[in-house]
Amino acid sequence: MENKEMETTQEKKGGAGKAILGIVIAVVLIGALIAVYLVFGPKTSEGSKAITITITDDQGVDTVYETKTDAEYLMDAVQELDGITIEGEEGDYGLFIKTVNGITADYDTDGAYWSIYVNGEYGNYGIDAQPVADGDSYAIVYEVYTE
Amino acid sequence: MKQEEKKKTVWSILDIAELGVMIATLEVGKVALEGLPNVEVVSFLIILYTMYFGQKTIVAIIAFVMLECMIKPINIWAVMYCYIWPLLSILTYLFRKYRSIWFMSILSGVYGLLFGALCSIVYLVLSGPQTALAWWIAGIPWDLVHGIGNFVIMLVLYRPLTKVFNRYCQQKKSAIG
Repeated sequence: MENKEMETTQEKKGGAGKAILGIVIAVVLIGALIAVYLVFGPKTSEGSKAITITITDDQGVDTVYETKTDAEYLMDAVQELDGITIEGEEGDYGLFIKTVNGITADYDTDGAYWSIYVNGEYGNYGIDAQPVADGDSYAIVYEVYTE
Repeated sequence: MKQEEKKKTVWSILDIAELGVMIATLEVGKVALEGLPNVEVVSFLIILYTMYFGQKTIVAIIAFVMLECMIKPINIWAVMYCYIWPLLSILTYLFRKYRSIWFMSILSGVYGLLFGALCSIVYLVLSGPQTALAWWIAGIPWDLVHGIGNFVIMLVLYRPLTKVFNRYCQQKKSAIG
């Protein structure tokens, strides 16, 4: 009987030890993720930044906006401009652009979508996570997926 | 002998009914919390189902992913779902003897923290390491939300739900004999 009680106490101690180890691992992982994000995450610079934003619509027509902004992210810079309206859906990884200046890209209907280019390269971030840097040019382009 | 073999391979009505409930709760749980980005009960349910129903859970996950693909426009997430949820079930199955609330909460939390990294494997294959890394790092704040959410959900729901599952399994055992 006593042995059983001792075993249970030891089991409990062992369980508590494992739980603490697990929590330590989780906390270290959280710390590592935060560190990676702070060191390598999207960087923004403050101050006046001269940028160019080009909207290419469904007809392939470009509208170019040259502006100076203090916005940290592209979405904020776009919202400061007159003449651009952007609507989208909030997803797990930022705003997914659906409509630009009243033109809706519906992937389900015809494979159309809005993409973001940064200095001619395909952007890695959503419009509300894309950092704005001085001298950069951004393009929001209506594209259609074709096989 | 033949009947025994049949018993092993053919699913009973109860198995199918259990699967139906698993698939339905996974889908309802997914849809119900879609308003809260990266807070979800799918991980919690998959862990619990694997603990109690074992390998059958993989079938429920496959059906759940197919259902998601039917309901929502298919995109890159569908590829991620094809391995991310079965992997969680396999991990739970491997650790199934550690049935403590803390272990399962930490497992669920850590899986949430690594969710973005695991999902970025698709980008690694499609667009290369640079895009995969940038995509993963940009999503780290959401992974933190995911991990903490998973941990808290498991911590809060583990005891009441395991109580229900234990009672159900006992009833099933005594009914079947």
